[in-house]
Amino acid sequence: MKTAVLLIPLLPLASFIITGLFGRRYFKEKSHYLSVASVALSWVLSMYVFIQVERGQTLSWQIYNWIAAGRFNVDIGFLVDELTAIMLLVVSTVGFMVHVYSIGYMHGDKGYYRFFAYINLFMFSMFMLVLANNYLLLYVFWEAVGLCSYLLIAFWFPKLSASNAGMKAFLVNRVGDFGFGLGIMLVFVTLGTLSYSSVFAAAGTLGGGMVTAICLLLFTGAVGKSAQFPLHVWLPDAMEGPTPVSSLIHAATMVNAGVYMVARSSPLFAHSHTAMLVVAAVGTFTAIFAATIALVQNDIKKVLAYSTISQLGYMFMALGVGAWTAAMFHLLAHGFFKGLLFLCSGSVIHALDGEQDMRKMGGLKNKVKITYWTFFIGALALSGFPGLSGFFSKDAILSGAFSGGYWYFWIVALITVFLTAFYSFRLIFMTFHNEPRTDPKIFAHAHESPPIMTVPLIVLSVPTVVAGLVLGLPPEGGHIDHFLHRVFAAAITAPEHAFSYLTLALMIISAAVGIAGILTAWHFYLRCPFLPAAACKRAGRLYTLLLNKYYIDEIYFAVIINPVRRFSAWLWRIVDAGIIDGAVNGTGWIALGAGRILRPIQSGKVQGYLFAMFLGLLALMVAYLILTL
Amino acid sequence: MTSLQHYLVLAGALFSVGAWGVLARRNIIMVVMSLELMFNAVNIALVAFSNYSSAGAGRGEVFVFFVLAIAAAEVAVGLAIGIAMYRLREKLDVDELDELKG
Amino acid sequence: MQFSTPVFYIVAALVIIPAVLMVMFRNLIYSAIAMIACFIGVAAVFVTLNAELLAASQLLIYVGAISILILFAIMLTRSRSGAVNLFFHRQAWMALPAAAALAVVLGAVLGTARFSAGDTPKNPATGNLASLLFNQYAFPFELASLVLLAAIIGTVLLAKKESRP
Repeated sequence: MKTAVLLIPLLPLASFIITGLFGRRYFKEKSHYLSVASVALSWVLSMYVFIQVERGQTLSWQIYNWIAAGRFNVDIGFLVDELTAIMLLVVSTVGFMVHVYSIGYMHGDKGYYRFFAYINLFMFSMFMLVLANNYLLLYVFWEAVGLCSYLLIAFWFPKLSASNAGMKAFLVNRVGDFGFGLGIMLVFVTLGTLSYSSVFAAAGTLGGGMVTAICLLLFTGAVGKSAQFPLHVWLPDAMEGPTPVSSLIHAATMVNAGVYMVARSSPLFAHSHTAMLVVAAVGTFTAIFAATIALVQNDIKKVLAYSTISQLGYMFMALGVGAWTAAMFHLLAHGFFKGLLFLCSGSVIHALDGEQDMRKMGGLKNKVKITYWTFFIGALALSGFPGLSGFFSKDAILSGAFSGGYWYFWIVALITVFLTAFYSFRLIFMTFHNEPRTDPKIFAHAHESPPIMTVPLIVLSVPTVVAGLVLGLPPEGGHIDHFLHRVFAAAITAPEHAFSYLTLALMIISAAVGIAGILTAWHFYLRCPFLPAAACKRAGRLYTLLLNKYYIDEIYFAVIINPVRRFSAWLWRIVDAGIIDGAVNGTGWIALGAGRILRPIQSGKVQGYLFAMFLGLLALMVAYLILTL
Repeated sequence: MTSLQHYLVLAGALFSVGAWGVLARRNIIMVVMSLELMFNAVNIALVAFSNYSSAGAGRGEVFVFFVLAIAAAEVAVGLAIGIAMYRLREKLDVDELDELKG
Repeated sequence: MQFSTPVFYIVAALVIIPAVLMVMFRNLIYSAIAMIACFIGVAAVFVTLNAELLAASQLLIYVGAISILILFAIMLTRSRSGAVNLFFHRQAWMALPAAAALAVVLGAVLGTARFSAGDTPKNPATGNLASLLFNQYAFPFELASLVLLAAIIGTVLLAKKESRP
C-alpha cells in the first residue's frame, strides 16, 4: 500500500522530467508513450489503493520532516482515507482517459512533447494535492496545479488571447490564494500545527469568531480555485487552452480542489455556522448566476465552462448546507460527465476543423455518431435525467438542502436544474440537430474522430451512466454514504434519516424539473426554431446582459484594473524613474568615482604591492606593541 | 655578556636593511640580493634561539640548513627569471613586470 | 665558548655596515662585494653563537655559491643600455623611513619580549645537530633535495636560449 501510494504521484513526475528534458530532441511525436504509460500505471495503483481503502485500510504516513523550525513543524506525508480515495479515483480515471484522448487530439501539434510533459506535471501535482496530510503541502501543490493550469491555458502562447487567458487565470487565482495563505497562517498561529489530524482534533478549542475567520479565509482560496463568484472570471477564458486540458483541469480535477479542500476541512467548518452559510450562499448564487450566462453563450466550450462553474456552485451549496457526502458524490459524478462532455466538444471541434461557435454547427448527428451519443449521455447526466449519475448526486444535494431547512437554497437550486437542462440540450440541438450552418466545404469534410479519441469517450460514459446506480442507491443510504461516513462523521450534524416518501417526492420534483428543461429546449430549438430569436428580441436588455456575462469583466476593469494601471503608471513615472532610478544611477556614479580614485593603486607595479604589504605588517606589529605594552 | 636580545635586535636591524633594499632598488638583481639579506637576518634569529634555548637545542640550526637549501634554489630561480627578462626586454627594471595591472 | 660583548658589537658592525652599503651603492658590482662582506659577517655571528658547522656552511653556500651566482648574473646582464637609470626606485624616499620604522618596531618587540630561553648560551654540540638532521628531520632533508632538483630544472628552462624554429 505504501509503495503504491508513493508511486502514484512519482510515476507522472518521473515521466514529466524525462519527457520534459528529452522530449524535444528524442521523443518528438512519440512523447506520449512514457507519459500515457506512467499515468496508466498510476491509474492501476489508484484503483488498488481505492480497493484497499474500501476494505477499511487507511494510511497516515509521515515520510519526511520537511520544515522543522522551532514550533513550526511541517512534514511531507500522505493521508489516504475515503475522501482521498474518491479524489484519486476521479483524478486518475479522467486523467488517464484524457491522456489517451490527447494522443489523438494533440497529434501533429508543434508542442506535442511539451503538452505531455505539462500534463504529467499536472497529474503529479494533483495527486500530491489530494494525498497531502497537512495544509502547507496542500498549499504547495495547490499552487503547483495552478501553475500547470497557467502553462496549459497559455499552451498556444503565440496566440495573444491564450497567453492573456493564462495570465488572467493566474492573477485571479492569486487573489483567492492570498486569502487561502492567510487562512493557513491563521491556523498555524492559533493552533500551532498544520497537519490535518491535529488541526481537526484541536478545532473545538478555538473561539467561534476565530473558526469563522479561518474558514472564510480558507474558503476564499476555494472560491478562486473552483471559480466561484466573484472570482469565476478566469474559468471561461481558460477555455483558450487545448480541449483535453479544459476537460482534465478545468472541469474534472483542479477546479474540484476547492471543493475537496472545504470537504477536507469539514471538521473546521462544522464549528462555524456563519462560514457554512456563506459557503452555501456563494455556491447557490454562483450556480444560478453561471447557469443564466450559459443560456445564451454561443461558444460550445464557454457554455460548458459556465456549466462547470454552476455545478461547482452546487457542490459548494451542498457543502454549505452540511450535505458533505452529496457534495463529494456530485464531485465524483460531475468529474466523469463533465470530463466526458468536454472531450466530446473537443471531438466536435476536431471534426469541424477548429470551429467552436455553435451558430456555425448543426446537423452533425449522423456525421459523428459516437460523439453524438456520448455527448447525449453526458448532457442527460448533467440535466439530472433519472437513472444517470448526475441525477442521483444532484438529488442528494437538493434533498440535503431541503431537509437541512434551507428551502430558499432549494428553490434556487431547482430553478438552476431547469436552466441546466435547458442549456445542455440547447447545446445538443444547436450542435447536432437541424440543418448544418457550417461552411459546406468544412461540413463535407466533417468526420468522426479516430478510435484513440472515441474510446475514452465511451469509457467515460460508463461511469456517467452507472456511477449513480452503483453508489447512490438508495438515496441518502447508498454505498457512497457509508463509504464517506467515517470522514464526515465529525461534521454531519443532521440525524440520518432513512429513505422516506419526502425524499421520493423531492426526487420526482427534481426529475420533473429537469425533464421540463429538456422539453423546453426541445420546443425552442427543434420544434419552433424561430422562437429563440423572438425571445431574444423580447428580452432585449436581459439578453445583452447575459451575453455580456453581467459585465463582470468590464466592472473589474473599471473598478480594479484601470485604477491599478493608473496607479502603476504614476509609480513608474514618479517613484521608479525619479527616485529609484536616481538612487540606482547614483550608486553607479559613486562606484565609478571611487574606481577613478582607487585605480592608481592597482598599478601592476610589484614593488608598490610589496610596499603596501610592508606597511600592513608594520601596522600589525605596532598594534601588537600597543596591545601588549 | 651577550644575551639573546642582542642577537635578535641585530637580526631585526639586518632584516630592516634588507626590506629597505627590496623596496627601494629597481634592479631585479638588487632585489634578489636584498632578499638574501633578509634570509640571513632570519637565520641569525633562528641560530640565536637555538643557542639560547634549552628545549629546542639544535633545532633552530636544522631550520637554518633548510633555509640555506631553499635560499639557494630561490636565488637560482630568481636570477634565471631576471636573465630571461633581460633577454626579453633588455632591461632589469622591476616596474617592467606589470602584467598584473588592473 | 663564550664571547664578550665587545666581540658581539664588532661582529654586528661587520654585518650591518656592509648591508647598508650594499643597498646604497650605485654600482652593482660594489653592491655584490658588500653583500659578500655581509655574508662573511653573518658567518662570524654564527661562530659567536657556537654554530661552527653553520658558519662553515654559510661560507660555502652564501659566500661560495650564491654570491658567485649573483656576480655571474650581474655580468651577464651588464647591458648596452646600462644600469644608470636602474638605481633607486620612485618610492625609495618612502622606503627608507618605512624600513627605519620597521627597525624601530622590531627592536622594540624583540628587545622587550621575554622568551622562555634563558640568557645563558647552552652550546649545543654539533653531533646533536647531525643526529637531528638525519633522524628526526630526515624526510624534510630529502625533500629539500627534491626542491633543489626542481630549481635546477626550472632554472635551466628559464635561462635556456629559446630555440627559434
